[in-house]
Amino acid sequence: MGTLGSILKDNWEWRGQIFNLAIFDLKKKARGAVLGWAWLLIKPTIYMAVFCFALAIGLRGGGGDPTSYPYFMWLISGLTPWFFMEEMIGSGSDALHKYPYLVNKMKFPLSGISTLYALSNFIINLALMVILLIVYVAVGMPIDIYLLQIPIIMLLMFVFFDFFSILCSQLSAISRDFSNMMKILAMLLFWVSGIIFDTSNLVEMGFGWFDTAMLFNPVTFFCAAIRGATCTKTFFWDDPALLGCFAIVFVLTVVMATIVYKRFNEEVADVL
Amino acid sequence: MSSSFTAEEQQLLSELGKHDATSDELAVRFDHVTKIYRLYKNDRGRFFSLIKRNNKAFVGEVRASDDLSFEVRKGEAVALIGRNGAGKSTALKMVTGVCHPTSGTVEVNGRVSALLELTAGFDGQLTGRENLELRSQIIGMSREEFKNVVEPAVIEFAELGLYIDQPMKTYSSGMKARLGFALAASIDPDILVVDEALSVGDRNFQRKCIDRMREIMSQEGVTVLFVTHDSNSAREFCTRGIVLEQGRSIYEGGIDEAIAYYEEHC
Repeated sequence: MGTLGSILKDNWEWRGQIFNLAIFDLKKKARGAVLGWAWLLIKPTIYMAVFCFALAIGLRGGGGDPTSYPYFMWLISGLTPWFFMEEMIGSGSDALHKYPYLVNKMKFPLSGISTLYALSNFIINLALMVILLIVYVAVGMPIDIYLLQIPIIMLLMFVFFDFFSILCSQLSAISRDFSNMMKILAMLLFWVSGIIFDTSNLVEMGFGWFDTAMLFNPVTFFCAAIRGATCTKTFFWDDPALLGCFAIVFVLTVVMATIVYKRFNEEVADVL
Repeated sequence: MSSSFTAEEQQLLSELGKHDATSDELAVRFDHVTKIYRLYKNDRGRFFSLIKRNNKAFVGEVRASDDLSFEVRKGEAVALIGRNGAGKSTALKMVTGVCHPTSGTVEVNGRVSALLELTAGFDGQLTGRENLELRSQIIGMSREEFKNVVEPAVIEFAELGLYIDQPMKTYSSGMKARLGFALAASIDPDILVVDEALSVGDRNFQRKCIDRMREIMSQEGVTVLFVTHDSNSAREFCTRGIVLEQGRSIYEGGIDEAIAYYEEHC
């Protein structure tokens, strides 16, 4: 409990530095290219365009009901939050190795490193979300109360993956095996989490247990929540099973992050 | 002991060069500090040590600090003397807060500036100026203080010319060290930690560094922790010496006595 308190306190006290470091992180990513900042958005946009082309026109992965919203809207609503989650699972789980000088050359709270990495990716994702909403309006979808839940979902996503990164990056600092495992997991999750298909379709195909298992998958939760806002027009608390399972995963992640942080926090600077 | 002097007298005293403590307030306190590094054959061994107790990959532990206790008062200049591996640098690292004691407590009051590993910890992608900005923000400096006071001072001191706005990956190691020293020496610390960092750059720059160090040390209230094997520079800058051997403090006293003890026993 005390450890959780000190994680939150550190992040609050260092918020100025964390924010500045996040901005510098973005500057670094944009550096050395004529198009600079644009690249941060070009890559995911092209990615989405390719998926829309391949799936909406080619394969028809099947998701929802094409009469009330276009399929590509459903697809990009899932892909947009995924770009943040992919970054956090694949790289955010190894945040400490990205900033060795903050770990053992300067006094800086280790949990703050996860936060600054999450923040820098979150800013990019906010920009993508704005693009998504522009497309949403441009294709003539309705502006309604369901859209208001998007900021809450985004905030929840940020907090969850910040804790996720605090948990994983401590373990990755102890052993590289862990970070390699996470990179594979990121790829795996893309295909199983229902980002490009609707997991409820699996029930009809006799894979109902898989759909149930995915209730505990936070990636599925966030994709479904954003889609609820833009396509299926539901609130993320409308499905108590999905929300309840996510709450369990969330609490478990926070508890585990706290335990791991307490155990390894002071040791990490010696081994990194 | 300071209370009997007026402000002018103190000013005079501090200009005399090396100085005694100016107050009874503690700047640094080590209370039975032990720092143990557990060493393994490889990272795999380290990982498995989390799961099982008896581990063949465990090769032993090193006590870099062993029940180390000392106090440094505000305004004092203290030399840590000892051979290689005596635990001097580990002690300084704990003062700067980048590494934590295994047991015992380290208490530090005031802003620490460290002249250790000057070339480390810069981001090669960012320019010299951006690195300066980033670093000073991390140690909690306000934007105004950086823009108005520190930035011009550092840039003038480091003599990097046009390179200050180039990415640091294009810097030579001497340039990095110069920038590192310039920043550490410009941030007006309460506690200055120096780890034999004075061999930076050419002879002119070295002289400049030593002059700047003297200037900082002569300021009232600045506490100095100095690590060295070189007894001459210790004598010049410090009033008190602590001799370390294998992580333990084996002698503590006036600088001349401490050096004499070191030369005799170590």
